[in-house]
Amino acid sequence: MNETLEYLKAALDKHPGLKYELELSFWQTDFLRFYQSQTNYNISKDMHALNATIYKGKRSYSFDIDAPSIDKVDKALQDALQIIDSLPEDPDFVDLETDLSMAEARQITNNIEAIPLNQKTEILTSLAQSASEHDFELYGTFICNYSGYRMINSNKIDKSTAQSPIYLEVKAVHNSSQVTVLETFGGDNFKLFDLEAFRSRLLTKIAYTNNPVIDVEPGEYEVILAPRCVAEFSQYLAYAMHARSLDQHSSYFEGKIDRKVFPEWINISDDPTDPEMIRKDYGSNAHIYRPLKLIEHGYFRNFLCNQYYHHKLGLPKNGNTASCLKIAPGNSKLDDMISRVKKGLYISSLHYMNMINAKQTSLTGLTRDGTFLIEDGKISAVVNNLRFTEKISRILENVIELEDTAYTIPFSDNYANFDVDTVKAPHARVRNFNITSSTKTI
Amino acid sequence: MEQKIKSIIARLDSSEIAFADVRITNTDYEAIGFENGSLKHYGNSAGSPAIGIRVLINGCFGFAGSKDLSEASVARLITKAKNNAIHGALFQKEKLSFPPLPASICEYIHQPQIDPFTMSKADKMDYLNKLANAIKPAGKIVHSYVMAEFERQEKYYANTEGSYSHTVVYNTLPVMGVISADSGQIQSRTWPGHMSAARAGFELFYQHQFGENTQRIIQEATDLLDAPEIDEDRADIIIGGGHLALQLHESVGHATEADRIFGQEISYAGKTFVKPDMLGRFHYGSEILNIYSDSTDPRGMGYHPMDDEGVPGRKVDIIKNGILVDQQTSRHIAHKLGLQPSSNMKAAFADDFPLVRMTNLCIAPGKGSLDELIRNTEHGYYLDFTKTWSIDDNRNNFQFTTEIGYRIDNGKITGLVKEPTYYGITPEFWNACDAICGEEEWAYHSTFHCGKGEPGQIMRLSHGVAPARFKNINVSVKL
Repeated sequence: MNETLEYLKAALDKHPGLKYELELSFWQTDFLRFYQSQTNYNISKDMHALNATIYKGKRSYSFDIDAPSIDKVDKALQDALQIIDSLPEDPDFVDLETDLSMAEARQITNNIEAIPLNQKTEILTSLAQSASEHDFELYGTFICNYSGYRMINSNKIDKSTAQSPIYLEVKAVHNSSQVTVLETFGGDNFKLFDLEAFRSRLLTKIAYTNNPVIDVEPGEYEVILAPRCVAEFSQYLAYAMHARSLDQHSSYFEGKIDRKVFPEWINISDDPTDPEMIRKDYGSNAHIYRPLKLIEHGYFRNFLCNQYYHHKLGLPKNGNTASCLKIAPGNSKLDDMISRVKKGLYISSLHYMNMINAKQTSLTGLTRDGTFLIEDGKISAVVNNLRFTEKISRILENVIELEDTAYTIPFSDNYANFDVDTVKAPHARVRNFNITSSTKTI
Repeated sequence: MEQKIKSIIARLDSSEIAFADVRITNTDYEAIGFENGSLKHYGNSAGSPAIGIRVLINGCFGFAGSKDLSEASVARLITKAKNNAIHGALFQKEKLSFPPLPASICEYIHQPQIDPFTMSKADKMDYLNKLANAIKPAGKIVHSYVMAEFERQEKYYANTEGSYSHTVVYNTLPVMGVISADSGQIQSRTWPGHMSAARAGFELFYQHQFGENTQRIIQEATDLLDAPEIDEDRADIIIGGGHLALQLHESVGHATEADRIFGQEISYAGKTFVKPDMLGRFHYGSEILNIYSDSTDPRGMGYHPMDDEGVPGRKVDIIKNGILVDQQTSRHIAHKLGLQPSSNMKAAFADDFPLVRMTNLCIAPGKGSLDELIRNTEHGYYLDFTKTWSIDDNRNNFQFTTEIGYRIDNGKITGLVKEPTYYGITPEFWNACDAICGEEEWAYHSTFHCGKGEPGQIMRLSHGVAPARFKNINVSVKL
């Protein structure tokens, strides 16, 4: 497919008044979805595409070509050249990305080939057998992707990258009570997957469910947030760290650079180099992706800023996209954290969060996949899923302590081609978490 | 393309394959975005191809999809789909099956009033540019946008039962919005709201009267900065059509997708509180509530002559006089539940696996105009224009915030409230519905962005609704 990219580049280079950014991308997935401890469907998908944005002065026009061919490139380019002069200008556009830094070469294993379907079904069959002994069935997905791109622009950027994320999500659901617990594995190195450790963690969570199911009243609770919850709140907070949010006057961090916004034990960074996570070589517009401090000892340090907003807002450019968030661990043991809760909740996972007012970081959402009552320092009951209405800023202000270990948590990016990102986070103990209603269901 | 798809089906007609179907789509797509009066994005994807092949072997579906329609790709996809089914069946307890359907053949070619792909690009850009400039930041307006998405999709479908369908449809999504700011707070107003799409072309901008509503959203966004919040714990609320469509979508539409009953969506979209034994007896809503799924109405984006597993379009009552009577189903799930398949299996593009999806899910109209309903409301709030939505794993507990609320006292609008937030439990809420406006207020509200499934699919679908009133709803959540 590289010939279509080269062909388009050569055609554009004949027009010295044009600038361009071209990306040739590929994406493949092998996607096993299961329910009731059996296959729901088994999917293979692939695509390759050529995406182009052409600039003439401050005017720009983009086109995407799926399954590109020379004929399609000719047609799209002809259309683009016909229309671009008639378009309104974007006064904020100054230049395309200029960062020529190259990422260190690294070996990428295609996990679609490395983890064949029969290995997936063997793992799932084994886990299903263990869960069935406790009257639980398994639901979830086992996914391997292989994707990448080559990006070229008229400022001499020519960069290629690939990744092959793995995502295993197993929900164990009790056959009669419907009580659910969740265990996941994510990353790009399947050698880090330990089936027995995974099984052990799943069965430990299943054991928590040997308690009555109860409802709790709305109100403010001391909570232990599982790493998945800490990670997801941080992802939502990161929206406010994008320069675009600042430009739209919707950022909580407007006017707060180098100001203390959270307790000193809150440290959040964007780190694409951690081998226990899904690593990234390049960020926005193929800018090199390097570790970036976002919250340091409670101080807000950096917006996520690409070339465009660098020129528009005058912020330092970094190209980071918050795709590799890390919340630094603290000093506490999880058992000790739980033991210090007189009456509160353990929240395993969150569901359907949505911002109410981005500037204030207010949002609503629900608990899912295991919410437990803690009484006198011990888990004493399973709780129906609960709704909370909170501000992320307030949640972080109310963090009392953090666990001494951070865990890699995979999240599916499900609104374009299916992709997977990872976040690393510890458990957090948080006071005054605002539960606003019960769902009355598990 | 008809020959191509039929030749692929012929290659799948073998004794090892119990059922197979093939989809091919060809999609044109264009997106235009202005911010603060300037064009920020004009993108085009013309003739994007996709193919998907689904086979049922040993009681398990295998699927393979691609953007590559070449002969080599088709051969590869057939092998992959079969291999996926055979391996998937190794982790399976219950063999999937469903009764055959008689073959049917359909064609539908939709033509909008103004084809967005062939109209003058200069006219299109001029209209949007003027709109964008009419709402440029000024005063307390700090950000504004105008966006348009246009789509033309041609689809071919064929299966091993001999069914074949060919359709062409146009869909358009227009929206504009402003953000106001003052003293550290922001408010927003959009037009025509959250579900602004339609089966239409560029004429949709004129139908929605964009030009006539620029000053309205500027004024309301500005006024909201100083508006109070609702101060009661409970109140009667009238919900406008655009937002009611989303309320219907989240708390009835997804809840009555029967794949959720069996946990097929637990890993992502969630479950449902609905159980099979509720059919025919569960009081989902009040007696005035009638909700149906209608893939036979070409006015909505959920129209199709045949769904993506060969079931002809159908109109099916889901809630009749408040009682839950049916579900949205696939052929397999309908068979398990003893129902007739409802023609709700859809794939967003041909390289997507078909799922149980809403098509045109509608609330039947009641009587009277919105003005009459407001006049007949002693005290309450008229809420519209979705801002935030959230619903639980079982589609039982929801919470919505709208951009704006209009306070009603003694049958008249007396002021604005900002960020009105209400929540409820699904059946309690729908049983609190005591009035639905009539045919004169009924309209389709549609979205491009209903997410479901893994890998994710974004479905186009519609909801026909008229404004309705709900009594004594919890509005106590304060931010």
